[in-house]
Amino acid sequence: MPDNQYDAIVIGSGISGGWAAKELTEKGLKVIMLERGRNIEHIKGYVNAMKESWEFPHRGSRTQQMIKDYPVLKRDYPLNETVLDYWCKDSEHPYTEVKRFDWYRGYHVGGRSLMWGRQSYRFNKWDFEANAKEGIAVDWPIRYDDLAPWYSYVEKFAGIQGSKEGLDVLPDGEFMPAMELNCVEKEVKKRMEAYYKGSRHLIIGRSANITQPHYARTNCQYRNRCWRGCPFGGYFSTQSSTLPAAMNTGKLTLRPFSIVTKILYDKDKKKATGVEVLDAETNQTYEYKAKIVFVCASALNSTWILMNSATDIWPDGLGSSSGELGHNVMDHHFRCGASGTVEGFSDKYVYGRRPTGIYIPRFRNIYNDKRDYLRGFGYQGGAGRGRGVEVAEMTIGTDLKEALSVPSDNWGFGITAFGEMLPYHENKVTLDKNKKDKWGLPVLSFDVEIKENEKKMRADMINDAKEMLEAAGVKNVQANDWGYHVGMGIHEMGTARMGRDPKTSVLNGNNQVWEAMNVFVTDGACMTSASCVNPSLTYMALTARAADFAVNELKKGNL
Amino acid sequence: MDRRELLKLIALVTGGTVIGGELFLSGCKLSDKPAVNFTEDIIALLDEVGETIIPATATPGSKAAEVGKFIKVMVTDCYTEKQQSVFMQGIKELEETCRKAQSKSFMECNAEQRHEFLTGLEKEAKKFNENRDKTDEVRRKEHEKLNEGLAWKDQKEFEGTPSHYYTMIKQLTLFGFFSSKTGMTETLRHNPSPGRYDGSVPYIKGEKAWAE
Repeated sequence: MPDNQYDAIVIGSGISGGWAAKELTEKGLKVIMLERGRNIEHIKGYVNAMKESWEFPHRGSRTQQMIKDYPVLKRDYPLNETVLDYWCKDSEHPYTEVKRFDWYRGYHVGGRSLMWGRQSYRFNKWDFEANAKEGIAVDWPIRYDDLAPWYSYVEKFAGIQGSKEGLDVLPDGEFMPAMELNCVEKEVKKRMEAYYKGSRHLIIGRSANITQPHYARTNCQYRNRCWRGCPFGGYFSTQSSTLPAAMNTGKLTLRPFSIVTKILYDKDKKKATGVEVLDAETNQTYEYKAKIVFVCASALNSTWILMNSATDIWPDGLGSSSGELGHNVMDHHFRCGASGTVEGFSDKYVYGRRPTGIYIPRFRNIYNDKRDYLRGFGYQGGAGRGRGVEVAEMTIGTDLKEALSVPSDNWGFGITAFGEMLPYHENKVTLDKNKKDKWGLPVLSFDVEIKENEKKMRADMINDAKEMLEAAGVKNVQANDWGYHVGMGIHEMGTARMGRDPKTSVLNGNNQVWEAMNVFVTDGACMTSASCVNPSLTYMALTARAADFAVNELKKGNL
Repeated sequence: MDRRELLKLIALVTGGTVIGGELFLSGCKLSDKPAVNFTEDIIALLDEVGETIIPATATPGSKAAEVGKFIKVMVTDCYTEKQQSVFMQGIKELEETCRKAQSKSFMECNAEQRHEFLTGLEKEAKKFNENRDKTDEVRRKEHEKLNEGLAWKDQKEFEGTPSHYYTMIKQLTLFGFFSSKTGMTETLRHNPSPGRYDGSVPYIKGEKAWAE
């Protein structure tokens, strides 16, 4: 084999890319994984993981320099001193916003698997059926039962803690022992479930934090500093999990600083032959050849690559013949809910910092519930005992110090809703050929907004939160709406959707690009609808399933 | 309690948004030359003001936490030019007001006089911030109305009027102290690596709170 020849190329090293690399190498393929950014080594690369608050010059705050360098990231919480290394510098990676779109990106080995929220839920059977039933967009080409074994497969390896609940709306998985609800959450659960007679549920947030040793990983140490990278391997990331597995096969080459500029396409064979790579450091161009290509560059960047590929045949890029490439951008809309205080637990406190909260699965528009909008939402949240008892106004000195050194009398309880956003054709990304990044590559332009359905849903997201907390005896309940702009959920989905018909979709039911059957897109780009649950576990399952299919097809000589 | 909650708590105690907090989004001019000049005297003064706000008791106070040095870093790096100028002007004003009230500089005052003086300043700051909130609310509404008529790219973030300088000092003192090593490990309880989680442990009134 020439040294640029592989069996498979994986573009991107985040959650999806890591899974593709692991599955393909473990099935015997020689694989190169291309990552546009720098390498971050497991443990060694987590430079802030063991630092204490006082070791950060600004104790985690954002400086004016950071605000200047990160004009997008500054729009929400991710911009702070403790995790700055993991977010790409917006000022060096421009894009165009026809409408505001908050795009928070991680350009390094591991991608956002290092900083993800780790909440891990299966889509339910209704999620895969809803588009067809309601006449929205196009039908998913798969059903829950197609994916269920793959959910099990990835859960067992990733390590998901959670409780079995037997709910249709939130299917159980292969769980590690669940983390514990705290005493206040248990009480609120009891009261809430009694009030709604078992039609609403409060459970521990299922997350990719391990509660038992798993492979070479140490179980969660309850530091709740996951975002800085975990030196114990306590949560699933490319570095802690899929990368070492792929490396163990001896069949993986990892190439950082490799910006894939296009997929090379042979129009006679109607197949990809490889990719073109721009070395981000040297600006040299290279070609890598392979039998199959897995595109896992994160939803919108995967589509960017397709848009730049095979343009001599399709001006709008590989996969554009349906007219859907770049369309149907989705996210989860959130940042609203309610919070209040819980009395009567001043003799209880917690030990340890649990890296997950509670989850209230969707209850709207299922069974007999019918609202004036489609789909639904779930809540994440939790109870905690804050610090500081009330002091007389304008106190300083010993009294103030003492008041701020003890826990509050009451506990706080808060929930935030995460709602499903529908796929709208007119919500799209396109190439802005007038704006170039520092490598001279055209940038993406965003034209995305939430519409009536999401706005109506938000009213319920807020009102239901308030009503539920009050029903559960939470006091001083305040509803809140901090405002949402698309992208803030950091759950970009769509733009290369799966479907049953090449005329209306970019990918088929095995994540193959209709026009190039040896190209697989398995990250958020492939999503046909968004559900209201966090999507990463679904990317893992889809990737493992597609990799299995791809290798079988290769063996049969079909690719 | 994480950092965000600490900032919320401080905002609650001092009646103003904490500069440098996640929710402070003002995109402001960044000066190339530092607009602030923190002399050793100013740092010493801030240590003493800090010590009056959070004194040494059975556990060390602001001075031991080197709050003065921390304030210098924060004002220099995290404050906008406008906030910096309010802060630096405030340092001068603090001295002048103190001389009027106590007939001597803050450094020359004894602990009781310092306490009395800062309690007076608290009142002044509270009044100032309350008036500021009222006028800023009007300004904010006008700003939002103006923004509504603009394309989103031309919309500007509302830049609130800075708090009273004393509020700035107090916020930075509380933030600096409770995120310092002594504050987190001696006045509060801290465990870098708890190893397990228990969501229901007995609490006896008066026991220290967790720092994180």
